[in-house]
Amino acid sequence: MISNMGKYLQVFKISLGQEFAYRANFILWRLRNLLQIFLIFFLWDAVFSDPDTQLFGYDRSKILTYVFVLIFVKALVLSSRVTDAAGEVSRGDLSNYLVKPVSYFKYWFSRDVSSKLLNLVFAAGEALLLFILLKPAFFVQTNLLLVFFFVVSTVLAILIVFLVMFITNSITFWIPESAWGVHFVLMVLLEILSGVLFPLDILPDKLFSLLSYTPFPYLVFFPIQVYLGNFPLPVVMKGVFISFVWVVIFTYLLKKVWGKGLKAYQSYGR
Amino acid sequence: MKQGTASDEKSIIVEHLIKNFEVTKKRGGLAGSITSLFKPDKKIVTALKKISFSVSPGELVGFIGPNGAGKTTTLKVLSGLLYPTAGFIQVLGYDPWERKPDFLKKISFVMGQKNQLWWDLPAIDTFELNREIYEIPVKKYKEILTELTRVLEAGKLLDVQVRKLSLGQRMRLELISSLLHEPEVLFLDEPTIGLDVVAQQKVRDFIFQYNKSRKATILLTSHNMGDLIDLAKRVIVIDKGKILFDGNLRELVVKFAKTKLIKANLSEEADLKLIENIGEVKKISFPQVVVSVPREATAIAAAELLQNLPVDDLTIEEEPIEETIRRLFKGEIELLKNKKS
Repeated sequence: MISNMGKYLQVFKISLGQEFAYRANFILWRLRNLLQIFLIFFLWDAVFSDPDTQLFGYDRSKILTYVFVLIFVKALVLSSRVTDAAGEVSRGDLSNYLVKPVSYFKYWFSRDVSSKLLNLVFAAGEALLLFILLKPAFFVQTNLLLVFFFVVSTVLAILIVFLVMFITNSITFWIPESAWGVHFVLMVLLEILSGVLFPLDILPDKLFSLLSYTPFPYLVFFPIQVYLGNFPLPVVMKGVFISFVWVVIFTYLLKKVWGKGLKAYQSYGR
Repeated sequence: MKQGTASDEKSIIVEHLIKNFEVTKKRGGLAGSITSLFKPDKKIVTALKKISFSVSPGELVGFIGPNGAGKTTTLKVLSGLLYPTAGFIQVLGYDPWERKPDFLKKISFVMGQKNQLWWDLPAIDTFELNREIYEIPVKKYKEILTELTRVLEAGKLLDVQVRKLSLGQRMRLELISSLLHEPEVLFLDEPTIGLDVVAQQKVRDFIFQYNKSRKATILLTSHNMGDLIDLAKRVIVIDKGKILFDGNLRELVVKFAKTKLIKANLSEEADLKLIENIGEVKKISFPQVVVSVPREATAIAAAELLQNLPVDDLTIEEEPIEETIRRLFKGEIELLKNKKS
């Protein structure tokens, strides 16, 4: 069992090495991230420049705290290397993995985790920078139960994103050229609908209610709100349960789609 | 058959293997592309038409055939990458399609055109990854790595980013990467493709030595005749999904070569017409003349040459193997029925 874990630990390690392989690329990526966070922060800062402003149920300190926690959650949940899988499939490099005693899913999950961890480290650095420069009010959750549920909901969010990305990457099996386009659309949707650009509860009730039938709010918005203590415990637990159900649904979907895709891949003999 | 035990003497058994592919044809032109989107033109292509053969442990077998013959398809079915449409296959006692970890640990597949080495990292990182994937004990790994690196002269290459290396250097590292776990069966698909003559020879020498010293069963595909001549005592000639010949390379030549080559060195320039009367002129570059003559007429042709031309030196050779095989593919030779070895 332990020796089995070793494989994926090794994948984790060399994945990390891979990220550093292109220095300029790496620096630009961090800069882009930093810029995005600063932009979002300053947007809301401007909207709430008058400290007495109350908008959509948020005041200045609440919204800035949201953005602050957002930095971490976004780094963990939305960063993903899984899109590279589409490239491996369309080039036929997948064959190299099929012929070895290694699980392709676990392999990619290890790569994802290494990327997320790296992201988290840098996000922490960027958050620190933000904190020093702008000194927003920062809220530390003391209720351990809520912290626990925050962690659980974040982990479930990570799994959902992983599964969804893998499913969309599977389209490459049938339409090799489509992966980049689909990925782009997905990322845009994710950013808007998961609570990255704005907290979802500022939307009109009907819209918000509609959205809660999709997995999107559970990716970023929900974990942040749990951390901030904005939901009563029963709502938190219900939300965690729903996240779990989404994980189950997508796992099943992935197995089906991947299975079909693999058969298609192998019948083309690439 | 019990899983994992070699109940026969054979490493690999293939019986009446059929492999079909469903191919979608895209019609040309803009209108064609649009039509293809809605009504794809699907066709079933039979890549392997009931082939049968078996391989004993430690054998080195070369598959030769033109592009699209079915060589790579055969290797892919044997390694579990493709599922057979019909027929029976067994490798080391396993059903390859099940892709059991125990089975996968005993085989290795080197695809000449697809790197398994991580592009942006030094090869040693991929080696470490493989060590983990195949669960190779550290001590053994170090031993094997040292040995393979020494034999393939790759010591200086291990720490260089793979993308900075030449094709020949990468190929040597690919070989190391696939042999770290000491597979019992090694599949090599076009291992010398794209390599220069020197690199090709190095790879061939290595494969030959590896087969001799480790007794690994090696299946190799190529459309480079040099590979086969040098390496494989046993060849399987495949064309259009059928096995045309399975046996000793020498046998192939002796049985099917229709012509022989007479090479003569002339002491002075001679009338071309005279030479043309004796046989098919393959090459004239003074002082050498090369003529191809039917087997049965060799002696007479040689005598005529010696009589009518100022010959300094004369040798008689077998038709080049390439020529024999080319004619096999053109269907000039009758199909040899499969021999069960």
